[in-house]
Amino acid sequence: MAAEPFARLADRQHALRTALRALQAAGPGSPDFTALLAETDKEVEAVLRARRDVEAARLTVPNRAIAAATAVAALVVVIGWFDGWSLLSVLLAVAVAAAVLVDPVGRRIWEPRARTAAIAAALLAVLLTPLANGWAALAVPAGVAWWAWRTLR
Amino acid sequence: MMNIDPVKALDDKVERLKKDLKSLGDRVDNAQTDAAQQQLSTTNQIRDTTRKIAKTNDRVTELAESVHRLERLLVALNRKVRASETQKADFDTWPEIEKSLLARILAGQEAYARKTCTPQEAKDTRKAIAEYDRAALAAIDAAEALTTLPPNAEALWRKKYRQWRAIKGMARPEAPDENGHAGDTAAKSAGNEAIGRARELIRARIEDAVARDLLFPAWFENMLGPAAPPGKADDWLYTATDVVLYRLLHDVTSPASALGRAPQEQGHRRDLHDRLIVECAEYRKA
Repeated sequence: MAAEPFARLADRQHALRTALRALQAAGPGSPDFTALLAETDKEVEAVLRARRDVEAARLTVPNRAIAAATAVAALVVVIGWFDGWSLLSVLLAVAVAAAVLVDPVGRRIWEPRARTAAIAAALLAVLLTPLANGWAALAVPAGVAWWAWRTLR
Repeated sequence: MMNIDPVKALDDKVERLKKDLKSLGDRVDNAQTDAAQQQLSTTNQIRDTTRKIAKTNDRVTELAESVHRLERLLVALNRKVRASETQKADFDTWPEIEKSLLARILAGQEAYARKTCTPQEAKDTRKAIAEYDRAALAAIDAAEALTTLPPNAEALWRKKYRQWRAIKGMARPEAPDENGHAGDTAAKSAGNEAIGRARELIRARIEDAVARDLLFPAWFENMLGPAAPPGKADDWLYTATDVVLYRLLHDVTSPASALGRAPQEQGHRRDLHDRLIVECAEYRKA
C-alpha cells in the first residue's frame, strides 16, 4: 500500500519523459509544438499530483501526530500555566490542530508540507506559551501565513 | 418800340427774363412729373415681368419633373416591352470562371494589402523567437529534471515547476518568413493574371450582350444605365466588367442591387466599391 504512490509517481515520471521526448523531437519551431506543449503540461501536472500523493502518504501520520501533540500540549498548558492572555495563543493553536487533525494533508500540490509547517508552528506556539504568554500566539499566524504562501500562490 | 429811358429799358428786360424764367420753371416741373409717371409705369412693368418669369420658372420646374417621371416610366416601359420579346443577358452565372481563378485574384489582393515588415521588425521578431526558443529549451530541461527528482526535494520541485510554467504564458511569434516577399510577389502577379483573364471573359460576354441587343439584368441596368453613354463606350464597358467582377469576387447575388451592401472595413473591396459607385453615377447621369 505504501509503495503504491511511489509506483504511480515513477509511472507518471516515465510518461512525462516520453512526452518530453516528443516535445524535444518536435522543437519549438514546429507547428504542433503548442499542442505538444499543452500535452506535456498535462503530464507535468500529473507528475506533481503524483508527488503530492507521495508526500501526502508520507506526511499524513506525522501531521496528525503533531496535531494531536499540539492539542495535548494545549490542554497541559491551559491547566498548568493558566492565564487569560495565554488563552489566545492556545486557542489559536487548538484551532489549527483541529483543522490539521481533520485534514492532515490538504488537497493542493504543495499543501502536505505546508500543513506540516503550520502545525509545527502551532505546537511551537503552545510550547512557548508558558514563557511568552499571549505573544506566543504570533507564531500561529506566522505558520498559517507560511501555509497560505506555499499553498495558494 | 425803342425805349429811350435806360432804366425803363432795363426794367422791361428784367420783366422779360422773369417771364422766361417762369416758363422754364413750368417746363421743368412738367418734365419732372412726366418722368416720375414714366418711372412708375416702368417699375410696374418690371414687377409684372418678374412675376411672370417666376410663374414660368415654376411651370418649367414642374414640367421638368414630369418629364423626368415620364423618362423613368419610359425606361421601365421600354424594359417591360423588351422583356417580353427580347432574350435576356445572363451576367449571374459564370461557369467559365472557376473558383480557383477567383481565389487567385483574392490572394493577389490580399498580397497587395499585406504589410511588408521592415528589416528592423524582422530582426526584433527573430530576436523574440530566439528568446522563446531559449525559454522553451529551459522549460524542457526543467521538466526533464522533474522526471528524476526524488519526491521529498520540495524546494527543487518548486523551482523546476516554476521554470516549466514560465513557458506557458509565452507565445512564439510568427516567423518573419524570408520568402514571404517572394511569395507575395508571386501571388500578386498570379492575381493580376487571373484578373486579366476574368476581365476578358466578362467583357466578352457583355460585348456579346450589347451586340445582340440582349436585355441586361435588372441590377446591371440599375447601376449602369440602359446603354453605354455616347462616346464613352470603352470606359463604360470597363466599369461594367468591374461591377460584374465585384459581384463574382464578393458573392453578391442580389437581383436588384448591383454591389450589395457597402463593406464596412477599409481595404481593397471598399476602395473598389466606392470607385464603382462614383463611376456608375456618372454613367447614369450622362
